[in-house]
Formats: sequence, structure tokens, C-alpha cells
Amino acid sequence: MPTRKVDVQAYLYILPALAFYAVFILWPILQTFWYSFHDWDGITLPTFTGLSNYLELAGDETFLAAIRNNLFFILFYTVLPIAFALLLTTLLTRRKIRGLTFFRAGLFLPQVMAMVVVGVAWRWIYHPLSGPLNQLLRAVGLEAWARPWLGDFDLALPAVGLIATWVQYGFCMVLFIAGVQHIEEGLYYAARIDGAGELQQFRHVTLPGQTGQIGVALVTTLIAALRIFDLVYVTTRGGPGTQTLVSALYLYRNAFGINRVGYGAAIAVVLTILILLISYAVLRFQSRQERMVQ
Amino acid sequence: MKSNYRFATMVIVLALLLAACGGGSPTTPPPGQPTQPPAVEEATQPYPAAEQPTQAPATTDAYPAPETAPAAGEVVTLQVWDILTRDVETEVMETLIQEFEAAHPGVTVERTVKTFDDMKATARLGLSSPDGPDIAQINQGLSDMGALVKADLLVDLTPYAEQYGWFEKISPSIVARNSFTPGGEVFGEGSLYGMPITAELVGVFYNKEKFEAAGVEVPTTFAEFEAALDTLLAAGEVPLAYGTLDKFPAIHVFSEIQGNLVDRQYLDDFIFGRNNQSFDIPENVEAAQKLVEWAEKGYFTPGYEGIGYEDSWKLLSDGQAAAMITGSWISGDLAAGPNGDKFGFFLTPSETARGTHISVGGTSTAFAIRKGSPNEQLAAEYIDWMVSDRAAQLWLEKGIVPVQPGDASAVQPGTLDGDLVAAWDLLNDNDMVGHYLDWATPTFYDTITAALAELQAGRITPEEFTAQVQEDYGAYIASKGQ
Repeated sequence: MPTRKVDVQAYLYILPALAFYAVFILWPILQTFWYSFHDWDGITLPTFTGLSNYLELAGDETFLAAIRNNLFFILFYTVLPIAFALLLTTLLTRRKIRGLTFFRAGLFLPQVMAMVVVGVAWRWIYHPLSGPLNQLLRAVGLEAWARPWLGDFDLALPAVGLIATWVQYGFCMVLFIAGVQHIEEGLYYAARIDGAGELQQFRHVTLPGQTGQIGVALVTTLIAALRIFDLVYVTTRGGPGTQTLVSALYLYRNAFGINRVGYGAAIAVVLTILILLISYAVLRFQSRQERMVQ
Repeated sequence: MKSNYRFATMVIVLALLLAACGGGSPTTPPPGQPTQPPAVEEATQPYPAAEQPTQAPATTDAYPAPETAPAAGEVVTLQVWDILTRDVETEVMETLIQEFEAAHPGVTVERTVKTFDDMKATARLGLSSPDGPDIAQINQGLSDMGALVKADLLVDLTPYAEQYGWFEKISPSIVARNSFTPGGEVFGEGSLYGMPITAELVGVFYNKEKFEAAGVEVPTTFAEFEAALDTLLAAGEVPLAYGTLDKFPAIHVFSEIQGNLVDRQYLDDFIFGRNNQSFDIPENVEAAQKLVEWAEKGYFTPGYEGIGYEDSWKLLSDGQAAAMITGSWISGDLAAGPNGDKFGFFLTPSETARGTHISVGGTSTAFAIRKGSPNEQLAAEYIDWMVSDRAAQLWLEKGIVPVQPGDASAVQPGTLDGDLVAAWDLLNDNDMVGHYLDWATPTFYDTITAALAELQAGRITPEEFTAQVQEDYGAYIASKGQ
């Protein structure tokens, strides 16, 4: 076999982006990793403390509560949007719908909006007195349901979660609509001939055919759920109490609020590892599914 | 041949990229135009163009005499970071800066406006950089100003204070909260590191029309105050506009209640970490109990847990509440809003007519000078400009209380400004300026806001509240003792 010539031109094409990436993303990641082993206030000299930040994290009740909230957000970022999107995709795409492109664009719009804007807008929607949600509830006679959503200890987390569902749902929809169109109509034909009902067609034709898309949706939404910061910061700042506190917000508080940059770095590292582990698990599961389909 | 085209394209693309990266340096004004208007970078709010400034006095008595001037032809840029984001604050600053530049030929002021949170996060970085701002507006307390003093990033302002006479303008307790021992060891004594320019006093803003309609007079005792709230509630009004979604308003209301029950000595010790005080004392339990009572009686805006701060004071401004316990920082915007002339202000009355009720608050965050700034003297002069009599006049015109004792003749009694200035004079003359509780420890803000939220939601009792807060404070005091 002839030796492959190194395609220098190819590397030169990616060099600018790679340089940018290396300087602004890779290097700071390594630096953060390094900081996590130190006690540092961000201004004076850091002191090397080995694994003490990680040991402290393991016993930090607030951090564990934050991780629990992140996991809870997975329900709203991942499970609900994907479930809704799958359901609606099957209902919609196998029928002729006029202006599907328009709906697709509209559904995707929340993804394009800055999370901060989304947060501010929803804060107004949730306003206890003048927000449209409570006004609507009062108008239909459901006065008792008109709660102070973002300040309620029990409802704040789901309230913020629903905003996330609103944002992610469109993204999953668009993914699945595109995916369903790749499934051969012939497979549905064959299934119907074999006597499969709608639900069985969904389980045995649609779902396996969407494995790739589901995998992408899972990984993207899971990462979003674990990374969440701006939405919580703008709506509740982690309140009331620590009900909506998430890891990224706890990191921000430590690093910039109380000058514990080393501790914040340790939180960042733990969060990164968690995200990598979950993404790896999803991708492994997905590739196994794909092999089964084939 | 194809690969040659590819190569050429790539070279062009690279060249374009490099060109894009190279340009875009911050603009510095060309020399020879010293009276150029200041460049406001990164303004966080759009602001209306500065109105015609009130006529500057003909004599230069109101201005401090310029003591420094750059050499002829030399252009000096003074970089200032501040957090004066409100519209009225920006108007005043623009005027003052214009006049400063006019009095200092060759000097250009470059002002960057940040939000409170933004400044907190970026001040450290800016002040440790050799190209950083000459002046930055820093929050008092251990985690902000204290940390910067500890890192030796701030200039000791004591010699300038003596030179310009700042100690005559502010009361000893205000000096204390801006002081640290060199090295940032002890908070509340030592050298002055920051000079605030406006006052912040927390008290009760009230709608005079609503008070009259309900037959309520401005209370002189705390009991009268509570009776007034009852009467307003019975008259169908929301007695106190309130919104705790942004967390900090709860601190102010709690502190105002607490201020009636504890004395100056306790608060000073508590904030400055002296004499091993505890938060878990009967007086604080009583204050917490009272806060819960008020919520249960319905004194606060319904649904306050889900209302943000800016939305809450707007409720007062729109006439949807009779009064509000909050700080003087909204006075300018309140006066400029609808119903602007209907508002008055009074200090939360004390339990007995002691007269030594400590009011919450104090001053705005302070102007500090970066160590290593090449324009130290000029920076000090800029700060002095901002606390001059002329500045005080402009602040008062906009309804904001300047830090020095007010010139009572400049404001009409019976107006909102008049009320504020009179209140501030009272506090200053009697050393009644209190604190913000969240200064107590670096983590105190998070601890107490979380605990207050739980208290008001009825999830913990007042006793549990004080114990929970004390955990934070006790741990901090213990760690300091090492």
C-alpha cells in the first residue's frame, strides 16, 4: 500500500480555528484543572493543596443539592422534550401538513434566542400579579392556582424546568422530523401487512429508525441540563433558598462571589467529568442500538 | 492547477483572518482635542442625552481648584469604572465629567459603566492589570474591598482625604466601613481605601395621597408604624410593596425591624467581627418573628416571593402600594416616574422614642484608586470632584442624596428630596448610619438570603432561622481566630 502523503493543506485550513480553540478553550481547561488543586482567591498567590478541594466537595451538602437539581433538570431538558417531540413527529409527518417548513422554523426559534432573553421574558410571564400566566388562570376562575411561581419553594424548580422544556422541545422536533423522513415508507407497509397497529409501528419502525437522532438529542440535551447557568441566574439566582441552585451557579458563587477560585475550579472539573461520563454512556448505548437495528 | 487555486484561496482566507484580528483596538482620542466628550464604553443601559446642565457657578468656589494639570500638549486619559447605571445617575455623571474635563485641559475621562454583579466579577482582574482602570467603584466589605486591600491593589486614600478634607464630609462610621488595616486584616479600622460619593439610606417611601385617604399620619414610633400598616390594609391598600425574587430586599426589611431591637455596639461588633458576637440572640429571634407576622397579616404585596426588585418598587411608583421599605437609590427614578410628586420618605421609627435607631445602609459603593496607576493625584482629584459642593448640588437636583451632610437650603422641606436630606442629616449628626448585614462574612449574603426565604415561606421557625445563620457566622469567626 502506498504511503499516504500528509495533506499539509488540510491542516493549514483548520489551523486558524484550531489555534483559536487551543488558546481560548483548551488552555483554560488545563489551567482550570491546575487551579482545582490549589487554594486561591483570584488575586494573591495560590497555595497548593492537592486533593483537598475534591474531598471537601464530596461532603459539601450544598454541592450535592446542586447536583440533584441538575439531575432533576434532566427530566425537563431531556425526557419531556424528547418524549413530546417523538410523539408529535409520528402524528405529524406521516400526514400531509401545509406549511410544515413554517412550523419547523417557528418551533426552532427558542433555540436561537439567547437564554438570557428567554429567562427575562419568562420571568415576566411568571410574574404573580401582572404576568399573563396568572392573569389567564384568574380569568378562567383558577385563582388558587395562581402562585408566585419562581418564588415558591415547591414550584420554582419545575417552573424553571418548563422554560427549559420550551426551549429544547423545538430542537428535538426538528431533529426527529428530519429523521423520520429518512425511514422508508416500505417498512411501514410491511409492518401494516404483518398486522402492526399504530403503536407497534411506532415501536418497531419509527423508534429504531430514529436511533441516530435520539442519540444526538440525548447528548445535546443532557449536556445542556448539566451546564445550565444563564437561565437560572436570570430567573431565580438559585433561589428560593437553594431550590434551584445548580452546579454552574454554585461554581460562579464560589469563584467570583466569595473568592474561592480553586474550589470553583474543582466544581468545574467534577461537572466536566460527569458530563463526559454521561455522554459516553449515551453514545455507547446508541451505537449498540444501531448495531441491533442493522 | 486546481491545487494552486486551493492554495491561493487558503492564503487569502488566512490573510483576511489575520487582518480582522489585528484591527479593533480601543479608540483613544487624537491629541490636541482635550475637550472631547467622554467615550462611554459598554454602557449597560441606554441613557437619554444629558440635559442642559444647570448653570455652573460663575466663580470657581464650588469647584476644587485643580491641583494637577498635564504638561501643555500632553493628553492624559483617566479610566474610570463605576456602577452608576441608573438614568438619573448617568445624567449627573455626564455633567460632572464634562465640567471636570473643562477645568483640566488635556485630560480625558474614559468611563465604563458596569452593573453591580459585573463589577464584582471583573474589578479584581481590572485592578491587577497594569492597563487597568485608574479608579473603580468597589463594594465595601471583606469579600470585595477587603480582598483587594489584602492583595495590595488599592491606594491608601488617607493622605488624599486629609489633603482634600474628606474626613469633614463623612461621619466616623462611614470612614470605618471603608477602612481596613493594611494587609486587609481588620475591617473597620486602619487606613481609608474607598470614598463613597452618594448616600444610601434605607427607610420608608410612602405615597402621601394614600396615607391621607386612609387617615394615616407619618408614624413617630414603631407601634404607630404597625398601626398605620393595619389601617392601610383595612382601607384596601397593599401597605408595603415587596418582592424577594432578587433576594436582597428581605435583608433590608429584616434589618430595619432588627434595628429597633439591637444597639450600635452590637451591630458594629457583629459586622466588624469583634468581641465574638452571635447572631443567635433573642432580639434577632424577635425580629424574625415580627417579619413572619407582617407576612402573615398581609402587609406585603401578595405573591412577593415571585416578584423581582425592580418590579416591586415600580408597584409603589404605579400606585399599587402605599409604602415601601427600601433605599434612597430609587428616589431619583421614583420622582421621575408617574405620581412622582406624591412621595415622601421617613426613617423607620424606633421602638421607643430613643432616637438612636440605627438605619440600614450607609453609602453607595466607594471609589478606590488602583495601586500603580500613573495618575494617582489626578484620580484623587476626580474623586474629590465627585464629592464637591457642585456635585452635591447636581445630585440633589436629581433627587439623590450626596454623601456629605446636605445643604438644607438647597432643597424644599416637605418634598421627597427634603425628606431624604433631612433624614440623612439626622443619621450623620447622630452617628446612626447602620450597616448591610451581608457584609458580616464572605458567605453571609447567600446564607442569610436563603434563610430569610425559608423563614418567610414558613419552612423554618425564627429560632431555627437564627441558629442556621449563626452556623455561618460562628464558623467564620472561628476560622478568623486561627
